[in-house]
Amino acid sequence: MILIPEVLTILILNVIFAFFSTIAFFLSLKIYLNWDINSNSTLQYTLEKQSYLTATIIKYIFIIKVPLFLFFIFTLDKISNILTGAMCGAGVVDATDYGNYLFVLKIINLYVFAYWLALHAEDMKHENQPYTKAKFGFFTIAFFLFLSEIIVEGVMFGSIDLNDIVSCCGTIYSSSTGSYISQIFAMNPTLLLSLFYGVFTLLLIFFFLKRNYAFAISNIFFILISIVTLITFFGTYIYELPSHHCPFCFLQSDYYYVGYLLYTLLFTGTFYGIAAGFIPTSDENRTLNYKKSILFNFLYVSLVTLYPTLYYIKNGVWL
Amino acid sequence: MIELKNITKMYDLNKTDQVVALKDINLSINEGELIILKGASGSGKSTILSLIAALNKPTSGEVIVDGKKISKLPDNFASTYRRDNIGFIFQKYNLIADISVKENILLPLIPLNPNADELDEKLNLVMEKFKISHKKETLVKNLSGGEQQRVAIARANVNSPKIIIADEPTANLDEKLSLHFIEILKELKTAGKTIVVATHDPLFFDLDFVDREIEVSNGTI
Repeated sequence: MILIPEVLTILILNVIFAFFSTIAFFLSLKIYLNWDINSNSTLQYTLEKQSYLTATIIKYIFIIKVPLFLFFIFTLDKISNILTGAMCGAGVVDATDYGNYLFVLKIINLYVFAYWLALHAEDMKHENQPYTKAKFGFFTIAFFLFLSEIIVEGVMFGSIDLNDIVSCCGTIYSSSTGSYISQIFAMNPTLLLSLFYGVFTLLLIFFFLKRNYAFAISNIFFILISIVTLITFFGTYIYELPSHHCPFCFLQSDYYYVGYLLYTLLFTGTFYGIAAGFIPTSDENRTLNYKKSILFNFLYVSLVTLYPTLYYIKNGVWL
Repeated sequence: MIELKNITKMYDLNKTDQVVALKDINLSINEGELIILKGASGSGKSTILSLIAALNKPTSGEVIVDGKKISKLPDNFASTYRRDNIGFIFQKYNLIADISVKENILLPLIPLNPNADELDEKLNLVMEKFKISHKKETLVKNLSGGEQQRVAIARANVNSPKIIIADEPTANLDEKLSLHFIEILKELKTAGKTIVVATHDPLFFDLDFVDREIEVSNGTI
């Protein structure tokens, strides 16, 4: 068990969140099963009052949880300073059997929380609260993902043994380890880059054609291909090392914390893209989501493209 | 048009006990009507007013104003409904004592963010109408009871609401000032406002310009 202040902060917040989200879960279930906006019964009026309270609890938990993802990454980085062998957060993630699952769960939850917040914001714009049943139904499922994250996070921090020697990112993300990750790194960079810029071109096409679902689904592909190309190709130009494939090192001060900017741009851009397709909203808001998505995604693409371009201009060769 | 359909309202006294304020009442008030709700303290008059003003929600039943189910409005929409439609005159005036008459009257307009000319125009109109112009810059705490009542009425009218609600408006006034208030009510009625007054002051009974007097007793009408 590792108990540095950052971990304690996360664990204490998790206990508070688990307590309030459990209350919110039971109330959400009750609301989801009994909600009938046209009814004038005592139960419905009680649910209307409880829905306001429940939505407020969920809203504030999720509003805190979204930026807390960046704090979690910062914490991993902090732990790497005291964990033998770890050079960055990657070593900490790999130090236990739970790190990778937790990381994937956290990224999925990031979108789940943001989706709930967007749905709630949309619901509150209408007098007849058309999405109340949907948002509480959605929370009853999201709650289990949320609770899983809290449990896995607690187990992961509890499993870290400071006496163990862990692998550094150079080993974990090496193409010679024979893992699933290494197979991705062994892929042809030209193919990966073609996919990356190809999917971004699709985003631009669907943006101009205003194809909601196609735009949203392209954004899901864009997240995946962006993360892969960031680790396999663009990251090497940030580090200026052809063999260094790490999704964490560029979060450190040596690289001016550029990773935080990259991940924020990517997650924000793709979230608005998914929202443009799947959040029921007015045409005006949908257009706004389209614009935000394409702006953030464009900034992401521009920034990652800038690193190899500058490297080539400076050195006259590719890595 | 205000409609209360099968309204029951219960208040929780504690975890197990409840008090029934209104029992399955039905009431319709037409546009431009002046209604007096009369009855003893605790009979449920103020609860009816709070339901019409969307300050409270019923335990069951529905409140409909101009076709809109206001008892179903979420809090943010209920606030907008009150701001746009309701002028409320309270028994204790509910003015802010340490600010001026002008500032008190303009309070309901703040969320609308009107320009200065519009504010002045509305302010002067209600101040002249309710004869309080000469006290424009005076602090409310330095006013007499009757003057405070006029400020409260001016504030209730500054956003030109369709509905005026008055809860025991003359409880703190002497007979002369109460009669003056009744004259103001008559003017508001003439101006086409829908007015609902909850009172047990006998001065309001049998007035020729009152459309209906409704007895509220033990939560029923």
